[in-house]
Amino acid sequence: MWGCSVWQPHDYLLQKGCDLMEKKMKKKKTPVSNKPLSVRLYTYRWFYVMFLPVLAFLIVFHYLPLAGIRYMFYSYTSAFNIKWVGLDNFIDLVSRPPFWNSFINTLELSIIKLLLNTFMAVIISLLLNEMVNIYFKKITQTIIYLPHFMSWVVTASVFTLILSTYSSGLVNTMLKTMGIIEAGEEISFLTSTEWWRFTYYLINIWKDTGWGTIVFLATLSGISPDLYEAAQIDGANRWDRMRWITFPSLANTIITVLILNLAKIMNLFESVFVLTNDIVTEVSQVLQTYTYDITFTSAPDYGFSTAVGFFRSMVGCLLVIICNFASKKVRGRGIV
Amino acid sequence: MRKTWKKLLALGLAATMVAGMTACGGKKAAELDKLTILVDNTVVNTLNGQAQFEAGLEELMGIDIEIIQPDHSGYYDTVGQTFANPDTTQWPDIVLLGSTYYATYASQGLLADLTEIWEKSDLKASGVIADEKTITDYAIDGKIYGIAPARGNGCMTYVKQSWLDKAGITKVPTTYAEYTAMLDAFVALSPDGYAITSPGLVNNEAPYVNYLPEFFQSAYPDFYQKEDGTWVDGFSEQAMKDALGRLIDAYNNGWIDKEFATNKTSTCRDKFYADKCGVFTYWAGTWAATLSDKLIAAGLDSELVAMKPIDEVGQYIERYSPVWAITSACENPEQAFDLFFGTMLDGSKGQVLWTFGAEDVHWSKKAEDVVVGSGDSTKTYTYGEGEFHFKANLETGDSQYKKNHIDPVLSIAKFKDGEDVSNAQMDPRASAAADIFFSNCTIAPKIVSNDTMSKYQSAIMSLRIELVSQVAAGTISIEDAYARYNDEQGANIQAILDSLNNK
Repeated sequence: MWGCSVWQPHDYLLQKGCDLMEKKMKKKKTPVSNKPLSVRLYTYRWFYVMFLPVLAFLIVFHYLPLAGIRYMFYSYTSAFNIKWVGLDNFIDLVSRPPFWNSFINTLELSIIKLLLNTFMAVIISLLLNEMVNIYFKKITQTIIYLPHFMSWVVTASVFTLILSTYSSGLVNTMLKTMGIIEAGEEISFLTSTEWWRFTYYLINIWKDTGWGTIVFLATLSGISPDLYEAAQIDGANRWDRMRWITFPSLANTIITVLILNLAKIMNLFESVFVLTNDIVTEVSQVLQTYTYDITFTSAPDYGFSTAVGFFRSMVGCLLVIICNFASKKVRGRGIV
Repeated sequence: MRKTWKKLLALGLAATMVAGMTACGGKKAAELDKLTILVDNTVVNTLNGQAQFEAGLEELMGIDIEIIQPDHSGYYDTVGQTFANPDTTQWPDIVLLGSTYYATYASQGLLADLTEIWEKSDLKASGVIADEKTITDYAIDGKIYGIAPARGNGCMTYVKQSWLDKAGITKVPTTYAEYTAMLDAFVALSPDGYAITSPGLVNNEAPYVNYLPEFFQSAYPDFYQKEDGTWVDGFSEQAMKDALGRLIDAYNNGWIDKEFATNKTSTCRDKFYADKCGVFTYWAGTWAATLSDKLIAAGLDSELVAMKPIDEVGQYIERYSPVWAITSACENPEQAFDLFFGTMLDGSKGQVLWTFGAEDVHWSKKAEDVVVGSGDSTKTYTYGEGEFHFKANLETGDSQYKKNHIDPVLSIAKFKDGEDVSNAQMDPRASAAADIFFSNCTIAPKIVSNDTMSKYQSAIMSLRIELVSQVAAGTISIEDAYARYNDEQGANIQAILDSLNNK
């Protein structure tokens, strides 16, 4: 009967277990402590002392700069030229085609990148999980983790060389050797609007997929071997075990990873900044690079840049709220 | 009695006010005890003996100097952030600015007006400045806000003699037809199938088109003032559309490096040194010798032909030089001017420091062997006692220094008798290239700035750069490019033209 789509024993048991735990948690709401605050503060004083540097860091680098948000209502071209303009920056913002182009690009690039990276990380995790030879598995893991530690600047330089249309370009040379393309038909991976995004996703997969497998491998290692043994005794083959035990066990982690990363999609900058060029701006410009471009020019308006940054933050904030809501629905608890 | 008191009190107050006003009027600007200088890497960096250079300046000026030198590529990011900081005590006293930045910051009142200071200065009276026109040319609305110690220089086209020989070309091109014929021949010789490399097609900084003059010819992709005084958008003119047509030809025929969009200046130089191409348009003067030396280091034939501009180009473009300006935050601009420019252009020891660097660190007259390079490419140059020579680069060791900040070929100040440590023994390759350039160049269109330009100019320029690249690479047609240009920026371009023409 194993493999029948109706019978899913572990899923059923897991769900039951989770429901029971949740009910218990809801029933028993124990207060943290009955002692007065001053006593608790004194008792845990050294923890608070240890937390102080973190608090100072947060205040100095995260909260104090928030005061700069007020400049979105100003024209701020230099220290001597700060003028109140009300909502003019926002009116100007929405009338600029490059802004909307950057906004759409940000969403497209980030979401596709996120889905691809997660998908690849899951696939590789599953493959690694199936490896029997522990040494080979460790070596493979180390190799695929390494690109994560390479800076984006170095990555861009290396790929610019590898993807060159000239003799130094490894990929085009290989494609020519294999007869896939003819001489003179070399693919401009980084300087053509048709190929840039594909190349961008590929480089991202190469760089971040290995690192992304860590969390999935941790989940996989947490699955009880008893389940696999029981399934094996029942005659389940490898595919069956993967389909009926591994996949369902990973599902929650995949959703969690997706939700957590979805909240960060507006932060796309470095990878695009180092790989973009004048030819592909239309398909590569994202909000963060747009903000950089309008800020670091000979005649910046910091007020306008702040307005763009604020808009980006608002969208990011909205995404966090949506993700929090989705997380509560899916996992039973929020992300914030 | 009460009235008398009142009178006395009124008199006392009036006297106090008068005394106060007198004190204000006669108050002297605070004496500077330190001079902070913000500069890019056109001055020797910390790995190249900046400490010795700074010590030399401090000795001559008799004041503490602080040189702030951010990363070269992020220099203008730092400058922008500095001028955005309302706490002016954080501003430097002196800053080096490219022409576009200079015009913008001057129009925003961030730079001290040096017009009167210059007129009354000992520097002007000294007669050391041989080229006062370069100083007055940088005036904005009649006021001088910055001093360029050297002419702007510009780019000229260098052709490898070895490639000409291989292609059997005996006559250096003088027309566009001859030039493209040469490029055609070079494409066949190139291991990667292109004849000329370039870091982008249009630069961010004026004069924008200096790396491919033969293709741009008379086109200028920015606002400029015509002879009749009216301002026009050069990018919208027919000359620019024709230039785009030539760039399409250049790309399709493989004349230009198809990786222009991902090239940096250093990448292009490396490609030239690696013999990937036979033509390179780069800075005149000292760079002619540097390019040649790098070819020697790479084991290649180093002979370069510095081309005169082809007939269709007419004249190369000399850029407006970066200028040194005193910021509005400087407490005593007059003293800063005398100390800084009075030393930099003193025709004596100060000028030696800024031109050649520190003695026995960057240059020397002692008898010695200067060893450059490593391994098989090691070269030893022997100099006798009293013979001026540059020392080996402290950071890389692969070549000798060529200059410090001021290019001696381009300097606006002449050395006083017996003060030129080099005895004007400039590298003949550099002098020859500079001679050709300055005999065949015209100054770039003047850069101006106002509030409207400040608001829209960077977005317009970014779009122009993007469109030129896309048209050349065949991503969009010339017609579509102009449709997008007018659609996205037409209103802003008109606003700028109105602001300039209705001034």
